Amino acid sequence: MPLAPSNAEVSFDQLTLDPYPVYRRMRAETPVVRVESVKRTFLTKAAHTRLVKDNPELFSSNDPNTPMQPAFRAHTLMRKDGAAHRRERMAMQPSFTPKVIKSNWAEKYEAIAKDYIARLPQDGGVDLYRDLCGPVAARILAVILGIEDATDEQMMRWSQNLIDGAGNFAWRPGPFEVTDRANDEMNALFDRIAQRHLADPGPSAFSVMLNAKDPIPREQIYANLKIAIGGGINEPRDALATIVYGLLRDPGQFEEVRRQEAWDAAFEEGVRWVAPIQASSRLVLEDCQIGGWDIPKGDTVMTIQASSNRDEDVYENGEDFIVFRPSNPHQAFGSGPHHCAGANIARRTVGQIMLPLLFDAFPRMSLPDAEAVQWRGFGFRGPINLPVRLN
Amino acid sequence: MVQVHFVAHDGTRTSVEAEAGTSIMAAAVANGIDGIVGECGGAAMCATCHVYLDPADAARVPDRAEIEEEMLDSAAAEVTGFSRLSCQITLEPGLDGLVVHLPQSQH
Repeated sequence: MPLAPSNAEVSFDQLTLDPYPVYRRMRAETPVVRVESVKRTFLTKAAHTRLVKDNPELFSSNDPNTPMQPAFRAHTLMRKDGAAHRRERMAMQPSFTPKVIKSNWAEKYEAIAKDYIARLPQDGGVDLYRDLCGPVAARILAVILGIEDATDEQMMRWSQNLIDGAGNFAWRPGPFEVTDRANDEMNALFDRIAQRHLADPGPSAFSVMLNAKDPIPREQIYANLKIAIGGGINEPRDALATIVYGLLRDPGQFEEVRRQEAWDAAFEEGVRWVAPIQASSRLVLEDCQIGGWDIPKGDTVMTIQASSNRDEDVYENGEDFIVFRPSNPHQAFGSGPHHCAGANIARRTVGQIMLPLLFDAFPRMSLPDAEAVQWRGFGFRGPINLPVRLN
Repeated sequence: MVQVHFVAHDGTRTSVEAEAGTSIMAAAVANGIDGIVGECGGAAMCATCHVYLDPADAARVPDRAEIEEEMLDSAAAEVTGFSRLSCQITLEPGLDGLVVHLPQSQH
């Protein structure tokens, strides 16, 4: 079999501004394709992305030599496989279970959500992305992680710094200087509050990791917290903004969602439509084939879940936001061992708490100019503004 | 082929046949059984394939391994002595006719 075709035309800027027409064409013409500007082999079909994610023995996450290492000053669980990954992930898991969410977190989240919604100006226009989606995601995350001492501004800044550093494949020094400073600040905070969690154990992720019977090393606890900060704000923020946009742009559908209180379905459709995490990388450990093309050992494939989520083999009218779909087996949370650990939290906080509270508070919310909403991102994607009228 | 019977929370029974060597989760997903999600693809990392073995069948299914035990804590529904992650049970001819009950929700 030959190697996958190469695409030297698609630019990184194009993928950042509007990747969906590119992916649609790739699915039709070159579903497995080497993209020269990204230096990765893109997989754009749902069957292929799932296959890769579900086979960690062949498609490894283990790659210590990515910019993630200097950005986080650690070889993190995101880039480990097998038992090493499981041990670090399971160290946090007790904080994220559906039962703990229900018994410990749901009430706190609801109070936070109400508080942040109440702070919005009651009349006139606001940028919901800036004024609500980001800050509320930051506060909720700080609470579940057990680092409430951090401000919203710090949480959001650290998160963005870590993302920029981890994506610094050009290996420029600037982003790592920024992450160095962020790491120093985070470490100082963690050092300061560790004793409090040891003295007074609770259900937060930091506390659970510190007080485990057989704790993982302290530096890995810190790395886990940083992974959660780097990966736990933008996704709920972008998911919320995307869903609000999708609903407001289609009043008829919105009305039906509200009538049926179909917030869970609206959440699933939002993350399907524009997956907050659009693509992931896996290192190929053995020569293999995908979709009839040779994939050589040592290649790095990119699963484009953004594209899988609109795959014509799975979805009718996948390019559109349609809450009431007969089934919605999206891959927005990935699959396989690295399946999103925050999926339950996201479903609860965004789908079951934020959406109904927000639209209860502002039943006449509208989007005066859908064209004014700008979208960005290749690896992570969502609106970067959401100017709405609340009343 | 090995037959498995899925009993949904509302009592609806669906019987499927799968190749020996397939996990119960994979058999369910391949046959569109709604009550089993299997988000992590069978890595014992999500607990969305939680099922209850029928008491009459429990003895013929191998015991839970440690990773399964650990992950079951994250199941959304109540965990009982008959609870299993269906991705961790491989269908063998000895399990033909197995009955598994599905929880109300996996989230």
